[in-house]
Amino acid sequence: MSVNPSEAASLLRSVREPGAFARLARGNLELWVNLVVITWAVVFAIWQGTGFAITLGTVFAIWAILAVSLNLVVGFTGLLSVGHIGFFGIGAYTVAILTSNAQYEQLRTEAIPTFGWPFFAALPVGIVLAGLTAIAVGTVFNRFRDDIFVLVSFGFTVICFNVFLNSRGLTRGAFGIHEIAKPEIGGWSFGSEVAFLILALVFLAIVVLISWFIVSSSFGRVLTAIREDERATEVFGYQVTHYKLAVWVISAMMAAAAGGLFASWTTFIDPNSFILLESILLVSIVILGGLATIWGSILGTMVFVLLEEGMRFLPFLPDEYVGQARQVILGVLLVLLMLFRPQGLLGRYKL
Amino acid sequence: MLRNAAYRERRGRILAASLATVAAAYVVWKITESPDQAVQFAFNGLSVGAVYALLALGFTLVYSTVWFFDLYYGAAAAMGAYGVFYLRTSETVGGSHVNNPYVSALFALVVAGVVAWVLYESFFIRLQSRFTHKSLYIAGGLLAAATGIYSGFVLTNPDNLHVLLSPAVGAVAAIAVGLVVNGVIQRLFSEASRTPVLVVSVVAGSLFGGYCGLLIAGAPESRLYLSWAVSCLVAGAVGVALYRGLYVSMRKRARSPLIMLVASLGVLLAITAATAIVFESAPRPLPTAFGSEPWTLWGSNIKGFNIFTIGVAIAGFLGLLLLLKCTSLGRTIRAIGDDEEVAKVVGINTTVVIAIVFFIGAVFAAAAGLLSGHDTAIQPRMGLLLLLKGWIASVVGGMGNLYGAVVGGFALGMVEQFGIWDLAGEWKDVISFVLLILFLSFWPRGLLPRG
Amino acid sequence: MSTPTGDGERFALETIEVAKHFGGVHAVDGLSVAIPRGKITCVVGPNGSGKSTLINLLSGMLPLDDGIVVVDGVRLRVVRPHETPGLGITRTFQDVRLFDQISVWDNIMVVLTERRLLPALLERGKSGQRERTEQILRSVGMWEKRRSLAMDLSYGQRKLLEIGRAMALNVNTYLFDEPFAGLFPQMLERVKGLMRQLRSEGRTILFISHNMDIVRELSDHLIVMDSGKLLTEGDAEEVLAQPEVIEAYLGV
Repeated sequence: MSVNPSEAASLLRSVREPGAFARLARGNLELWVNLVVITWAVVFAIWQGTGFAITLGTVFAIWAILAVSLNLVVGFTGLLSVGHIGFFGIGAYTVAILTSNAQYEQLRTEAIPTFGWPFFAALPVGIVLAGLTAIAVGTVFNRFRDDIFVLVSFGFTVICFNVFLNSRGLTRGAFGIHEIAKPEIGGWSFGSEVAFLILALVFLAIVVLISWFIVSSSFGRVLTAIREDERATEVFGYQVTHYKLAVWVISAMMAAAAGGLFASWTTFIDPNSFILLESILLVSIVILGGLATIWGSILGTMVFVLLEEGMRFLPFLPDEYVGQARQVILGVLLVLLMLFRPQGLLGRYKL
Repeated sequence: MLRNAAYRERRGRILAASLATVAAAYVVWKITESPDQAVQFAFNGLSVGAVYALLALGFTLVYSTVWFFDLYYGAAAAMGAYGVFYLRTSETVGGSHVNNPYVSALFALVVAGVVAWVLYESFFIRLQSRFTHKSLYIAGGLLAAATGIYSGFVLTNPDNLHVLLSPAVGAVAAIAVGLVVNGVIQRLFSEASRTPVLVVSVVAGSLFGGYCGLLIAGAPESRLYLSWAVSCLVAGAVGVALYRGLYVSMRKRARSPLIMLVASLGVLLAITAATAIVFESAPRPLPTAFGSEPWTLWGSNIKGFNIFTIGVAIAGFLGLLLLLKCTSLGRTIRAIGDDEEVAKVVGINTTVVIAIVFFIGAVFAAAAGLLSGHDTAIQPRMGLLLLLKGWIASVVGGMGNLYGAVVGGFALGMVEQFGIWDLAGEWKDVISFVLLILFLSFWPRGLLPRG
Repeated sequence: MSTPTGDGERFALETIEVAKHFGGVHAVDGLSVAIPRGKITCVVGPNGSGKSTLINLLSGMLPLDDGIVVVDGVRLRVVRPHETPGLGITRTFQDVRLFDQISVWDNIMVVLTERRLLPALLERGKSGQRERTEQILRSVGMWEKRRSLAMDLSYGQRKLLEIGRAMALNVNTYLFDEPFAGLFPQMLERVKGLMRQLRSEGRTILFISHNMDIVRELSDHLIVMDSGKLLTEGDAEEVLAQPEVIEAYLGV
């Protein structure tokens, strides 16, 4: 984790002594990044009111799960994967297909089987399915590294997207799936926006905890060793392929959980949410926030979410271009980071 | 005695061979089943493969020189296509006017910057003994600014493209003809004194150049083809600018080639989104080029434009081969690819040579982008997919090998087209990535491994 | 030529007719050597004679093309790298290969922790591992540097840390690939001391060196290689007394 106890203590001390704060803040980019982003988020939430903050919070939570889980693979294990959105999509589509009750015959469009499962029954299925896919894919991908790994992970996303788009009997292709169920358990419904936000944040907390548990264990240390020198790690007795496969599968399952949440939150999904570009955006969030830090990924997601919403208030930018403009900014940020700070804002690992 | 490593290698080969056999058997079966359709699919495969081959050629050239994957080439392909769209909006179906002074100014600035840098690198050191630094800076700056303003004019006046570009075309033709005439005369009459030869070649060059210029100026239908050249050149200039502006300093410090890859991913992201802002993300058609009327041949439809595309790919390959094998520039490019440090020590200006390589690569990508754009339609995201196809083609053909790039490109096109015979057409991206993964697993060095 | 004995008592490691070729180059060509237990063995030979390849084959970094490796009397056709610590073998690298972007402390810790996946997930640095790490870091004089990243160390420190990382693994056989190259005299003495210490604990050491003074001083057993083949092998003093060997290959 990026905040260690001694840093936190000195931060607390600095609140009481202004001089100490100045000393701490000078040249400490990480502190500034934290302060600016969190202030930005708080100011934004207050200014825009709760309703807006709740929506943004849910978007943030879902993307943060994705970013934190991807960081396990990219930052800690050193596999630059652009294939994460594929697992996200598997989770989303499984939940969508299993929970949707939409009667498409009445809409005179292609029909798919409906199951009408509750959300909490469908989500584990999606997670397991993503895990199984990850085992299969990871076994093949395990031998690739560096730029070739990037290429094949591009391929995984493209293949997933095409499967979502073209298996019309299962996913209705470009028409998308409607009426995806909201989570409900034991009389509790997460249908309201606030309840859903809380659910998403709980999921995020669980993912962060699991990730922290992994990276702080001996297992996590081995992952970083694999990142630095795979062959040397092997010579010291570790079955590197198993470790890589394990973290890949865990990360894929987390992404699938995020996908299930996403499907249920929007109640409608189509393949356009799972395109290659989304995957690239996700990687750029992880790199922006910082490689090999969990908090960095969370912060990076905050920047990502706030960037879009912040730009809605630029007078010269029409609303439909906001997403694209954010993409331009992210791209430029990525270039600048690679030039000046290859570990990302709060990173612990330089590419 | 059991030979372990050899055994593993042989197992890989057996798997690869059996896969290839199955594929070949499938194709043969299909051909015997319906030969007419087979011709059609083969032709489609060739014309799609030509685009992939072009992409793979540029990609391979750059990769085998600097040894990192530059994803800007995706953006270059899209820029090639959108450049044509930008300049020829009025001819496209229902095209609104997208010509935007800011965009034109930006690209004019890039062109001016690249020209200034090229002038500096190629003339400054040679001339600094004869002129003062200040006068050189002023002259170079003025020249670059003039080029920038000129390209700005060209970009903002697409309707008068032929008139505006006629002097440039004339000048290029004049120089080319002048050089050729000069060379031929000197080869034929080796005893001739220099002055009359020079006069003859200058006169011949300027006559031909003037004729070409006038011809172009009076032919508005040439605007489409001029726009091809302009978009290729602009994409190339952006490639050079990116190389000089980003990669040069990055490569000095980078721990791994992934830094450049991620940076170029950022470039791709930014350019793709900017394209979508300027041109909207919906697919757009390009104006119809020549040869879009299909002919019927052996029961299949064949478009002249596709044959042209195949021709461009083959010409591009031969040109590149000629450049690399027969010119001194080609030799220096290969020297840098073998060992950049040694090349530097030997006194090669590696920055300039690599910039030329980036320029050529981007021009190839842009050409591939606009050719495929004429064949289908264009959209901002097209670059990413074209880039991946070019990347796959170069892996299939054998990374870092020009012959491999061409073979891989055509092979990929063929496999895609024959693959969708029984599947639906929308599965073709899946087919190419499955092919990639098969190749990487069983045949990682590709069809024609480098050296 | 030594004949394969399969005698695990006398020899910690043996190779029988092992071969490795890269393309057409025979880096190691039917080599049979035996490395006596509890002694320091040195491999010498000109550049490109296959010394590093031999170590890479013994540690499983390269697959054997042919031949058998005998470890403690057990014959192996395939040496898998992740199994080498279990066989009692560990190594260092010619081009120092540390885990650059993790701390010095973690560089040592990582070789001490659990190998199995699930227990590794539940493990968070046992006290025994911590003590061993501290002991190793102190013995290579890197305790003060434990928090800095391995990439920020000087070349000599990196070399020492790598030897320390190998020593942290409590095994019988250590393969050191040029442990003395590029070290200052002070560090050199330190490495010599560490190797003597390992020998006094009864461990077997195989190392590569070009420095004849060190070879003379440290090694008990000498293997002389040329173009992938064994030139001569035997007691260090005897081999060093053969004038033709010295003249032709050692250049002393």
